[in-house]
Amino acid sequence: MGQVTVTLNVNGRNRKVTVEPRTLLVHALREQLGLTGTHVGCDTSQCGACTVFVNGQSVKSCTLFAVQVEGDAITTIEGVAKDGELHPVQEGFWEEHGLQCGYCTPGMIMASIDLLNTNPQPTEAEIRDGLCGNLCRCTGYQHIVNAVQYAAEKVKA
Amino acid sequence: MTSPTLPKLIGARIKRREDPRLIQGRGTYVDDIKLAGMLHMAFKRSDIAHGRIVSIDTSAAEAMEGVECVLTGAQLAEFLGPMPILTPFPAPPHYAVATDTVRYAGEPVAVVVATDRYVARDAADAIQVEFDPLPVVVDPDRALAGDPAVLHPDLTNILGQTGSNIALYVPAGTGFDPVAGTVDNSAIDAAFANAEVVISQRMWNQRLVPNAMEPRGVVAHWEPGKDTLTVWSSTQNPHTARNTFCGLLGLGQDQVRVIAPEVGGGFGAKINIYGEDYVACAVSRRLGLPVKWIEDRSEAFVATTHGRDIVADLEIAAKRDGTILGLRVKLIADIGAYEMLLTALVPTLTNGMLSGVYDIPAIRSELYEVFTNKTPTDAYRGAGRPEGIYFVERGIDMLARELGMDPGELRRKNFIKPDKFPFMTQAGNQYDSGNYEAALDLALKNANWEGLKRERDAARAEGRVVGLGMSFYVEICGIGGWEHASVTVHADGRITATTGTSPHGQGHETTFSTLLSGQFGVPADRITIVHGDTAMVKAGNGTLGSRSQVSGGTAIMNAGEKVKGRMAEFAAFMLGAEAEAKADELEFVDGRIQLAGTPSIGKTFEEVAAFAYMGAGNAAGAGMGYPEGGAGLTDEAFWEPAGATFPFGCHIAMVEVDRDTGELAVKKLVAIDDCGTVVNPLIVEGQVHGGLAQGIGQALLEGAVYDEDGQLLTGSFMDYAMPRASDLPRFELDKTTTVSPHTPLGTKGIGEAGTIGSTPCIVNAAVDALSPFGVTHLDMPLRPELLWRIIQGGAQ
Amino acid sequence: MDIAGTHQFAAPRAAVWEAMLDPASLQAAMPGCETMDPTGEDAYAITIKVGIAAIKGTYSGTVRVADQVEGESYRLVVSGQGKPGKVNGDATMTLSDAAGGTLVTYRGDVHAQGAIARLGNRLIGGAAKLMIGQFFKGMEAEVTRRAG
Repeated sequence: MGQVTVTLNVNGRNRKVTVEPRTLLVHALREQLGLTGTHVGCDTSQCGACTVFVNGQSVKSCTLFAVQVEGDAITTIEGVAKDGELHPVQEGFWEEHGLQCGYCTPGMIMASIDLLNTNPQPTEAEIRDGLCGNLCRCTGYQHIVNAVQYAAEKVKA
Repeated sequence: MTSPTLPKLIGARIKRREDPRLIQGRGTYVDDIKLAGMLHMAFKRSDIAHGRIVSIDTSAAEAMEGVECVLTGAQLAEFLGPMPILTPFPAPPHYAVATDTVRYAGEPVAVVVATDRYVARDAADAIQVEFDPLPVVVDPDRALAGDPAVLHPDLTNILGQTGSNIALYVPAGTGFDPVAGTVDNSAIDAAFANAEVVISQRMWNQRLVPNAMEPRGVVAHWEPGKDTLTVWSSTQNPHTARNTFCGLLGLGQDQVRVIAPEVGGGFGAKINIYGEDYVACAVSRRLGLPVKWIEDRSEAFVATTHGRDIVADLEIAAKRDGTILGLRVKLIADIGAYEMLLTALVPTLTNGMLSGVYDIPAIRSELYEVFTNKTPTDAYRGAGRPEGIYFVERGIDMLARELGMDPGELRRKNFIKPDKFPFMTQAGNQYDSGNYEAALDLALKNANWEGLKRERDAARAEGRVVGLGMSFYVEICGIGGWEHASVTVHADGRITATTGTSPHGQGHETTFSTLLSGQFGVPADRITIVHGDTAMVKAGNGTLGSRSQVSGGTAIMNAGEKVKGRMAEFAAFMLGAEAEAKADELEFVDGRIQLAGTPSIGKTFEEVAAFAYMGAGNAAGAGMGYPEGGAGLTDEAFWEPAGATFPFGCHIAMVEVDRDTGELAVKKLVAIDDCGTVVNPLIVEGQVHGGLAQGIGQALLEGAVYDEDGQLLTGSFMDYAMPRASDLPRFELDKTTTVSPHTPLGTKGIGEAGTIGSTPCIVNAAVDALSPFGVTHLDMPLRPELLWRIIQGGAQ
Repeated sequence: MDIAGTHQFAAPRAAVWEAMLDPASLQAAMPGCETMDPTGEDAYAITIKVGIAAIKGTYSGTVRVADQVEGESYRLVVSGQGKPGKVNGDATMTLSDAAGGTLVTYRGDVHAQGAIARLGNRLIGGAAKLMIGQFFKGMEAEVTRRAG
């Protein structure tokens, strides 16, 4: 199958990947750029483990072909902490034990950041609804909700 | 054996040391591993549930660019025998890839090895298989009668029968002598003869798909010339994997290294060693190149073992005052098409838990395990115990309703009383300790039970569909044999400990470093916990059955205690001249080893560690001036509890069903769990939360649904409803503490607790909510449609 | 999965009967049918291309016409194997006179195997309905063409 070169900006750096037209964005990030923090948890776009930002908006990177993000800015979990400083949501997940096996965590953190970007002071119900596109099998979600609340508090303060 | 001293950090909420890597996407899971020259595998799987393989055409696949080789089951069987299992009962041969007959939809029939994951998948899709279909067995009752087909006609089962779908038959309980094989029915018959009330109900604990968020995966790397095999596997027990690989491949345990890197959840399904793992190893060895296989989610639905799937015909004999006289149960476990590692064992745990927390004078259970044309079952969080407790707790609830008694008071009346422990139940388990009334009282208080009842009645008066439910669980933990640990204090005063348990989210690094930190009086950040690597951890039995703290934690402390004792001897030797210190008078506090009561007489931890390796003089003088026993600070321990531990708890839920949509909302869930001593409450709460979610998932959402052709209809997250954040309430947790006499710290195990208690609790609450509509029992999952039809007056 | 329904033709029963049993008309009306070659009496090998979500793919299989009762009813047995799995269908077509033309009543079932069953089963009812609708629409055109 023919190969296509795609230029994109990933976590602030300009990168080029050479992919098949059918290569999913998540596979390009993981296999070509070595950004293995973005995980694949299903093949029907239900679990959200592969959530990344494209131009500041959260998307499931298993639903996009790499060729669709030509010229776009991508942020993955590896690009969330700045200068060694954890993002408040990352901090929240650590403080509140918002993860166990850690597999859904990168996607869950990305979805949580997106949630707080659009609704900085969500209620518990809004957090639970807002994270509906992401599955976690370990935590029962309560500590994840706490983590988002922690981050919301921290940002407010 | 001397018991370790209690570390002072026990009970502190310590955040996890695993998290910094995981929240930044720096964890390494199997699919993140890339080796030079690595090939990729994909499996061609059967579309049909039962049939003979007539022909397999691999020519199109083989012709594809990038395809290294294609192997059918028959070709693989030439160098890979049937897979080993760990249960002692007769079982049919089970090849990693089907050789002549397929017995469930999704069973592998061929494997493709290619240079790229996409190519491997394309090539697998290009394989053409012709089947001669056989009748499909889906219904366990019919399976029991061998209708419409027998899956394994050549198997002679435990009853000496051939031509039967019965994989295993186990009678148990009062009057059954397993040694003599005799049965005396007089006690159980008398219980029912004397009964004033008999509850009888058929109930189904439905088939579930474990769905760890990380599907399975394996990288196998045979190194020719070195003749060693290194395997990275998403597994709960790397040592078991190593041992079975060695057995099937004819390799020594020194030649095979299994590494469990970050493992993205297991829930019992990653206890198993699967066909794909063996094939990866065998193919890598054959080709001399590393081979990777990563399971797709849609593959996982059919290729990874399922859980539960037991039907019970349950009868309870009781007096009108609520005294339970006897329990009679017939269980049929639908185990699917083959026996995996522990398949046959899991339902026998159901048998053993049928007494619940109750003092039931006569119990008789009969268990049939039957083959059907479905994915094999095996352990899934709770593994046999949730099923048993579900049946008992539903039965007790039905009895309370029949008698018009408060479900809490009926339970209280029949509890095993605290002074009767250790208590041998008629189901055959000896419970170590328990104080069930204390947990009930706390649950009633925290939930405000009487207030909730008033709230429910008021809501009903308004026409709302509201119900209250309670459940009481007990489970068996600390099983799974010995555990191993080693502790080394290095010359620089830092500590490495190894554990044979193998976490996949449970936070062992945090918990075990906390234990050692308290034991040695040094900060936890100077301690590294090594797990999940058979080359670095000498022996182990993995993380399963809520055993890691009980067995692994104790082993670590025992190894630590040995090293600590040796370290005290070094310290005493160093201090001897100035203070005549004795080793047993020294305490380890705040980075110092010092005389108890006279802290000024002591040495720093680092000084003693350095001395243990370098002696009194310089490096050249090493070996001189040591106390008896020589240099070094390293030791190990195997440990196995003297008996199983029995954690327990009480859950209370309030639910409301939407009249218009049938949707059930859990309004309140109070969980009291007693797992003995709690080491890290943060982690224990996380375990309980996750368990509750999975238990509620079973009650309300999840179910593996097969059609009459043996096709799994709920084969993706589109159709298999996983619990999401908005499906769950905020859980209200609390605990009582009844220590186990079998563990030095009094710990009991917590990993599975929430899963066991929450399921019957929610169903009991739903039945209560729908009791005005004449409902006395509902089979799970309680889908909105089911509930809506009941409310609308339709058939159940 | 059971399927059932009716379709009203504005043509006499004999014309509809003939069109519905004519291989050329069958092929023309069957949505996505790329080839249809006779393999025996009333039996054909077919390839069909389906473009609907999880059941998307090219299917090769067989069509068989059985149990013919001249001018009244017949059974259509279809089976197709593709990348996403296998689909089997079996339907009885019954023709009756109706005001202004002919009423065709169909009743039967569809079974899926493999990935289609796991991933696409919910879609099969809808897809079957859609394709049956297209089939009758195509058949109407065939009836008109044959009349003209």
